[in-house]
Amino acid sequence: MLTFILRRGLMAILVALTVSFGTFALFHYATDPAQTIAGEDAPQEMVDEIRKQYGFDRPAAVQYFDWLGSALTGDFGESYFWKQPVVQLIVDHAPVTITLALASLCVTVLIALPLGISAALKPNSWVDRFALSTAVSAQAIPNFWLGLMLIILLAVTFPIFPVSGDATWRHFVLPSLVLGASSVPAVMRLTRTGLLDVLSSDYIRTARAKGFTGYRLIVQQAMRNALLPIVSVLAVQLGNKLGGSVVTESVFSMNGLGRLAVESIFNSDIPTVQSLILIFVLTFVLLTLAADLINAWLDPRIRMG
Amino acid sequence: MRIRTLVQSGIHLLGVVISSLSLCAYASPKDNSLVVAFSTPLTTVDRLYSIQREGLILSRLTDDGLFYVNPDTLEFEPLAAESYQWINDTQLDIKVRNDVRFHDGSPLTADDVVYTFEWVLDEASETSRGPVIRSWLESVEKTDTDTVRFNLHLPYPMALRDMAISIPIRKAGTYDGTRGRENAAEDIPLNGIGPYKLKEFRAGREIVLERFDNYYQASPKANPAIDTIVFRVIPDQGTQQAELLSGGIDLMMDVPPDVADNISHLPGVRRKEGNDIRIGYITLDAAGYSNPDSPFTNVKVRQAINHAINREEITRYLVRGSAEVVHFACHPRQFGCDSDGPRYPYDPQKAKALLAEAGYPDGFSFNLWAYREKIIAEAVVSNLRAIGLDVDLRFVKLNVFSKVRNDRNMETFFASYGSGGTADASASAGVHFASNTARNFTKDEELAETLLAAEQTINPDERKRLYRNALNRIAEQAYWVPMFSYSQNYLLAPGLEFPVPNDGVPRFWQASWSEQ
Repeated sequence: MLTFILRRGLMAILVALTVSFGTFALFHYATDPAQTIAGEDAPQEMVDEIRKQYGFDRPAAVQYFDWLGSALTGDFGESYFWKQPVVQLIVDHAPVTITLALASLCVTVLIALPLGISAALKPNSWVDRFALSTAVSAQAIPNFWLGLMLIILLAVTFPIFPVSGDATWRHFVLPSLVLGASSVPAVMRLTRTGLLDVLSSDYIRTARAKGFTGYRLIVQQAMRNALLPIVSVLAVQLGNKLGGSVVTESVFSMNGLGRLAVESIFNSDIPTVQSLILIFVLTFVLLTLAADLINAWLDPRIRMG
Repeated sequence: MRIRTLVQSGIHLLGVVISSLSLCAYASPKDNSLVVAFSTPLTTVDRLYSIQREGLILSRLTDDGLFYVNPDTLEFEPLAAESYQWINDTQLDIKVRNDVRFHDGSPLTADDVVYTFEWVLDEASETSRGPVIRSWLESVEKTDTDTVRFNLHLPYPMALRDMAISIPIRKAGTYDGTRGRENAAEDIPLNGIGPYKLKEFRAGREIVLERFDNYYQASPKANPAIDTIVFRVIPDQGTQQAELLSGGIDLMMDVPPDVADNISHLPGVRRKEGNDIRIGYITLDAAGYSNPDSPFTNVKVRQAINHAINREEITRYLVRGSAEVVHFACHPRQFGCDSDGPRYPYDPQKAKALLAEAGYPDGFSFNLWAYREKIIAEAVVSNLRAIGLDVDLRFVKLNVFSKVRNDRNMETFFASYGSGGTADASASAGVHFASNTARNFTKDEELAETLLAAEQTINPDERKRLYRNALNRIAEQAYWVPMFSYSQNYLLAPGLEFPVPNDGVPRFWQASWSEQ
């Protein structure tokens, strides 16, 4: 297990380094941060002075290794756009994204698990077809469209929730529904398939013969095994939500990491973009690792193997 | 952003549904507040460290400069300055008003003015304004209790403009103990002399201002009607529209005409159109920077391009509002924007003939780069294809566009320029054809010298003559395809009175709620 963790950790570092170099190279050769910082209408003197002040006139390799050296000591530099330490920016923006990701994961679980279980218990019935239709619809609806519909319906026409912002829990309701809905199809279908497989297995037949029914049969006997692939998918979905809430945060004007990433990309804010991408990559790798570990804990066969 | 376009499209489709339900709430003027949406987050409230247009809008509320831009005439008039006098071409004496107070209650003095300009002159201050101010100002000194003398390196007629637009007055000692860009952070409380004082600044979220009751009565900005002004950062225009319909905001700026057309039909929304000093143009690589053998080095090709583009229809049907066709490299409202050079009416046959004369009867291939108003860029491409040119549109984000342009790897590009809200040709032609700028795609030294001379001449008539010569030269050589001036669309909540600005920079101290 230790070797497994070390191997995954090493892979995470390699991925992070590759991504950070790729990001730097793309930004360095595709954009002019000095002009972006000065503004499109800025006079040439201002652009030239900013190029000097920020050291953009140094060779690209020097700039990259300068950043990397500092990053390895925990100093991710200062944002060109916000003029603040990047770490501070991330700390300020992370709570919104984490709250949104967790809330939307709850939405996913609360919708997908009951739907998946119902569909598995009555395969090919109207319940199953309803669940599958819901899954297909949720998969087909783009986030921005669903967000817009919810805004129009529940914030404009019937002003129950605020349109945008992140000040109170009420601001998180609509975006959580939008972000949560996008993961429902994958989790619902996996729950259905996993549970159908488990329910047709020998040990469940034995359990039924011993008199297990209802809650005791489904939750205590079947779900433990059916959960294995769901845990992996939920971990990946959480990673997606932490790093992929860009559209939802933009539509609902939430000041999270996704919006910070978009603004940083458009403003050629290289230190912030690099740090955010590093964080997104590491989060994803760590969550996948966590999923593997939980699976190993749930399934002794994985531990043994 | 594609997402934004899709969201806007969805909003339009649903407009009918909303209007039929008619349940939207109206912004309430009961608390006499005004909530305005900003599309871009402000990183600082200190204008000395802000380069964004939103920073200029905010600064005109929280700060006063020695001069200000008259909203009607767009001329520069004394504000915190009592009076001014040019001693000679390079010495300017300014008498400071004695009835002005900072938001902390302390009086404005000549020492504060000297401190502010000395801070900007100090390279260590790293203000965004420094490079421009240092290019003309040598030193500043107090000559008596309330008079400050500005010593210039060279004659610079735009000194009053820079004082009006770029330099808010700071209290002496404001930046003590700090240096450089640290000042741009939100840590230093803003202590301005404007009609509104800063109550709260939440970077990336909102800025709250409240009326400053001790503001000097002699100011043209005195006695604003609104008690509290809130700027909410909402990047997505679709979301801004929903906020406007639900009463979350009272005013939207920079609304594209098609969005304004659709939304303004809904109950609870009013549309206003205003002028903007921004112009759209196409630059042609006359110098051959991107390719020494470029067809655009041939003046006949450049003239053909000018004749090929139907600016009248693009302006009338795509830009709309108060937009007008522009024939020269400046906005018609700018000082010095007067030329008797050639104009290029839409004439595709003549364009084809010019191409044939230039040796390209079958056309040629090139890229047109653009970063805004894709629909206009596409119309231009369509016009150019109609005369047999093989044009590929490269539509990219601004930061990528700037890089390729600054590397001078573009044969042609469609762009716009707002002149920093300055009604003077030095801010348009002067910026684009100066010898030291990456925007200049000519190697015309004579033109650059003429523009530099105009920038360093105090006599208005002589400046006009120099600008006329420069603009004639640009038109004769067809270095640009001047396209149109922009129009500004605003969407307002019912009952909000707001005089639209002439230069595209809103003055919210003029806003008020009417009785409903």
